[in-house]
Amino acid sequence: MNRSQRLAARHNAATRQLREFASTFDRAADYVGIPHNERERFLAWTIQHLWNIHTEERMNKRLIIENEIKSLGVYLPNGTVRKPYSASFTLPADKVSEVRLEGIEETGLQMTQTSPGVFTVEGTPLSHGDFPLRLSFATVEGEPRSEMTIPVAFNPDPRSIWKDIRSSQHEEGLKPDMIAEYVMVEADSDGSPRKDIVAASIQGRSHAHEGRARDDYFAVEHYPDSDWYVLAVADGAGSARLSWRGSEIACDTIMEHCRECLKDNKLFEEAIAAFSQDQNTSLRSVLTTQVSDIIYKGAVKAHEAIGRAADDTPDAAMRDFATTLMFAICKKFPFGWFIASFWVGDGAMCIYNEKDGSIKLLGTPDEGEFSGQTRFLTMREIFHDKDIVKKRMRMGIVPDFTALFLMTDGVSDPMFETERNLKDANKWKEFTSLLKSGFPDDGIPGVDLSDDNKDAKDQLLEWLKFWSPGNHDDRTLVILY
Amino acid sequence: MRRLPVYLLIDTSGSMHGEPIESVKVGLESLISSLRQDPFALESVCLSIITFDKDVKQILPLTPIDELQLPDITTPESGPTHTGQALKMLCEKIDREVRKGSAEEKGDWRPLLFLMTDGKPSDSMLYKEMVGEIKKRPFGNIVACAAGPKAQTEPLRQLTDNVFSLDTLDSTAFKQFFKWVSDSINAGSRSMGTSESIELPAPPSEVNIII
Repeated sequence: MNRSQRLAARHNAATRQLREFASTFDRAADYVGIPHNERERFLAWTIQHLWNIHTEERMNKRLIIENEIKSLGVYLPNGTVRKPYSASFTLPADKVSEVRLEGIEETGLQMTQTSPGVFTVEGTPLSHGDFPLRLSFATVEGEPRSEMTIPVAFNPDPRSIWKDIRSSQHEEGLKPDMIAEYVMVEADSDGSPRKDIVAASIQGRSHAHEGRARDDYFAVEHYPDSDWYVLAVADGAGSARLSWRGSEIACDTIMEHCRECLKDNKLFEEAIAAFSQDQNTSLRSVLTTQVSDIIYKGAVKAHEAIGRAADDTPDAAMRDFATTLMFAICKKFPFGWFIASFWVGDGAMCIYNEKDGSIKLLGTPDEGEFSGQTRFLTMREIFHDKDIVKKRMRMGIVPDFTALFLMTDGVSDPMFETERNLKDANKWKEFTSLLKSGFPDDGIPGVDLSDDNKDAKDQLLEWLKFWSPGNHDDRTLVILY
Repeated sequence: MRRLPVYLLIDTSGSMHGEPIESVKVGLESLISSLRQDPFALESVCLSIITFDKDVKQILPLTPIDELQLPDITTPESGPTHTGQALKMLCEKIDREVRKGSAEEKGDWRPLLFLMTDGKPSDSMLYKEMVGEIKKRPFGNIVACAAGPKAQTEPLRQLTDNVFSLDTLDSTAFKQFFKWVSDSINAGSRSMGTSESIELPAPPSEVNIII
């Protein structure tokens, strides 16, 4: 049989079947008694009813699948602009087909089916904003496509939305938004190197964003005649409008006071030498009195100097100058380094010894239950505290050390996070290695703390610009090494 | 990382049904979108939404702003306003969700509370009791908004000194209000290093200050 013969045979068979069906229908209609002229209408009515049932069933099937898909809670997490994005969701492959995510193209992402029923949305978001994507899919043949909204949001890259505005204090020459200093102390007459000081302070991104002054301040000095080092760091409270001056007055007062006290203080140095020989109670108390005269009185003077500044400023109170303060005086003796310090507020002050990995924290940071609750030099009650010496002052003799660090919480918060970490010598080791390595991923080089390296001040200034989410306070770091 | 927890308490009682709640939703969407574009807020703000009508629901647990997706808000067609019950839930959530500082962990910033109602507490006994409880919690600031002509400011003034009113329940008023809420949150997220309450920016003209 050729092709046309085959078709003719099939046509004949179909015609035969239809005729058979028509005569069967006629016989049935005769049997029921449906008049001939009403048979067509009856047939149409029957088909209509069956069709209605059929489409209703179909729609119900679709609705059941739609509800099932909705109850799956298909969800796309938010992403960040220019950061690779990948998220997957699963749909029952036996129930839905031709799945599309409408509106995905404009986001810069694509959706692919990675395995039956598993859909992956991938790519790099191009722009930030809210995108109400529509997930559409086919369910039952003959039914319209189903659709549901899946919202997704892309956040801007936080680093891209910080503004960098110079403060009016910077513009007017009252206080630079960033500053660095290197104090080079040349080798001893016998050629042995002496410690140098490197210090830097920068306006935090939170301040730069609004063109507000740097609240942090530092002052460092080495007296060539007496060989004393004095280091002071202060952090003005963000909420106090004149705190940028408070921190400055505090540090400068300390420097002036210490310069006076340490100029030619034979009694003090003799007391230190005696104490180094024999640390018994009577010699300790002689020295403690001497140290208090310098350290405690210095803090009181700084407090009073701020009080006077507040009196001299119209419409200003002491709390408008609120600032923390930490300072240390140190000198190398034949028997070791003598160090005495005072610390009120947060931040950190610590002696680090690389050789044995030991640390000595020169006090404890004042932190409250909630962030931002610290103590300030400007609070009268800290001087009325009978435990002030125990809490805030430290003195001691150490054989040698690698570095003495003083830092504001702008550095200690991102680097140590918690008080427990601050007491952990390993964290200080990590901190010093970060200081050396810098942050290569962010293109920030490390600080080379070798003797007499004057470049260290610019390196430190750059290093302080490290990125740490949520930590955008002013940053100040002073290192005696 | 230090978070700034922000709690929004929103009246979803029957009288908010329809246009008012739709306006609130639009306001919330623009609030979230504006917070996402602020570098302080983006890295520190966490938002929670509690709705109150005859039922009280935390429809959004405390969620970082960058991860947040606004859930649907529904209102019954009628029924009481359980503001007291809402404050009760708020206290429980604050106690559980807000981190206190310790040697092991940095504390959160003091939380902010924004409460919006278009009526008065139906559970006034519980409300009074809870106002006392709220006062014991370490809020950075509390702002109450009396929206529309039927809102009563008197109960809100027991809760906070910062009571504002909106004359109408339309989209313009809510838009302005939520814009101002976002400005206040942004101000809060940048007032680092303070233990004092957060200073609020000046409210827009649509918002009336109740003295």
